[in-house]
Amino acid sequence: MTRKNQIWNITPRPAIFKIRLRNLCPYRYLFAKLIQREITSFYRQTLLGPLWFFIQPLLTTSIFVFTFGKLTKIPTDGIPPPLFYLSGIIIWNYFTDCINKTAGVFKDNLPLFSKIYFPRIIMPLSTVTALLMRFGIQLSLFITLLIFYRFNGFRFHLNSYIFLFPLLIINTAALGLGIGLLISALTIKYRDLNFLIAFGIQLMMYATTVIFPLSATPKHFRKLLQINPVTNIIETFRYALFSKGLTNLQSLISALIISAVILFCGIIAFKRAETNFIDNV
Amino acid sequence: MSKNMPETIIHVENLSKLYKNNPVKNSGFNYTSTTFWALKDVNFHVMQGDIVNLSGDNGAGKSTLLKILSRITSPTFGKITGFGRINSLLEVGAGFHPELTGIENIYLNGAMLLMNKAQIKLTIDKICDFAGISKHIHVPVKRYSTGMYMRLAFSMAMHLESEILILDEILAVGDHSFQQKCLKKIKDINSKQGRTILMVDHNNKFPKNLYNKQIKLINGRIEL
Repeated sequence: MTRKNQIWNITPRPAIFKIRLRNLCPYRYLFAKLIQREITSFYRQTLLGPLWFFIQPLLTTSIFVFTFGKLTKIPTDGIPPPLFYLSGIIIWNYFTDCINKTAGVFKDNLPLFSKIYFPRIIMPLSTVTALLMRFGIQLSLFITLLIFYRFNGFRFHLNSYIFLFPLLIINTAALGLGIGLLISALTIKYRDLNFLIAFGIQLMMYATTVIFPLSATPKHFRKLLQINPVTNIIETFRYALFSKGLTNLQSLISALIISAVILFCGIIAFKRAETNFIDNV
Repeated sequence: MSKNMPETIIHVENLSKLYKNNPVKNSGFNYTSTTFWALKDVNFHVMQGDIVNLSGDNGAGKSTLLKILSRITSPTFGKITGFGRINSLLEVGAGFHPELTGIENIYLNGAMLLMNKAQIKLTIDKICDFAGISKHIHVPVKRYSTGMYMRLAFSMAMHLESEILILDEILAVGDHSFQQKCLKKIKDINSKQGRTILMVDHNNKFPKNLYNKQIKLINGRIEL
């Protein structure tokens, strides 16, 4: 554990392609501490605390039910609208939380990063893990709603795709982390990109099947929408629960590959940026 | 603790650091870029158990050198080889997280130095006693006064485990009695634990005989 006799080297360009998990292992206690810190600081100095994690998706769902369900009458694949929207929202929330938190990692941790060394990648990794708690709370809200509908006559059958659920969440985390890392590295020097992110995420939601089912889109558009891994993740999630939605293993594998490539690029960009970002902030 | 022969603990070879003034950094459309060598061909080594006094005028490159040693930034050329963990106090204040309480920051900092929970727990009382902040240990550090902040940072550096300690202008704040306490503690951890210390003592607050090695920087170069 203690690396008293560890020899280290400081060189201008550390090997960025050498991503060694072994080097991170001694830092697992720090990893746990950072997760704990992240979770407590979520609701420090708030009156309602974790209740906010319920309020936000509930309000969003009600507004979606009203605007997209009642006003514009977008179909929901025969799924009760609140269940349809909430299933998309919780995954979408986790995805965007991962992006936002990871993208600001250098800015938010400047006091820490400018004083003490530890492998910087631990910071975004712990954030994404800590955000799972928020996701878990929102998932429990969704399950409560699901049970409520079950007792009020809505019949649904889980199918074997439900076993892919952990994979879907890992995929969401990987993609959010990857995009966030890319943004974090690119915005150190030039903050222009920050302006893009806020409405970029907003726009991306309309290219994701949060508020509409993939089956309601024109056929020639579907391929385009399925490039977006989050679309495939949400469609699979809904399919696993309600057997409604367009998904197959091929689109899932493509989502995994795209996410993995983005995560890989993100890590490399991040590793390049971390060595002397302090000179550029 | 270590009774063996002293060995080289830090070896610095041809270290150089170039700063480029980022043209867009200060916004607007002023694209003139300037470069500046903060360090140029710096070579030296430090033996285990040394107390090194790093001196030089403002802008001579002291802070840049210590930042590279602490791995806050990377060199442009050159190489440093070293041995063991480094803890540094750069420009007043350790790596504190302002929202966290004193005790949470101690745990976080200890974890960054690869200490485990039990090891950190053992040091908590010593850290608080030395800093004289036992009453405020559960208050977020953002509410600390500058003096409390500085004392906690110094106390943590002294009590948390590390083989090399870097102290940069740490005594800019703090009264005379606390400075004397610090001096005693620095001698203590050096003689009893054999810890290597690199420090910048800008106003010569400490007696010259504290140090057994002097490194003076002039415009990014070592004066021999």
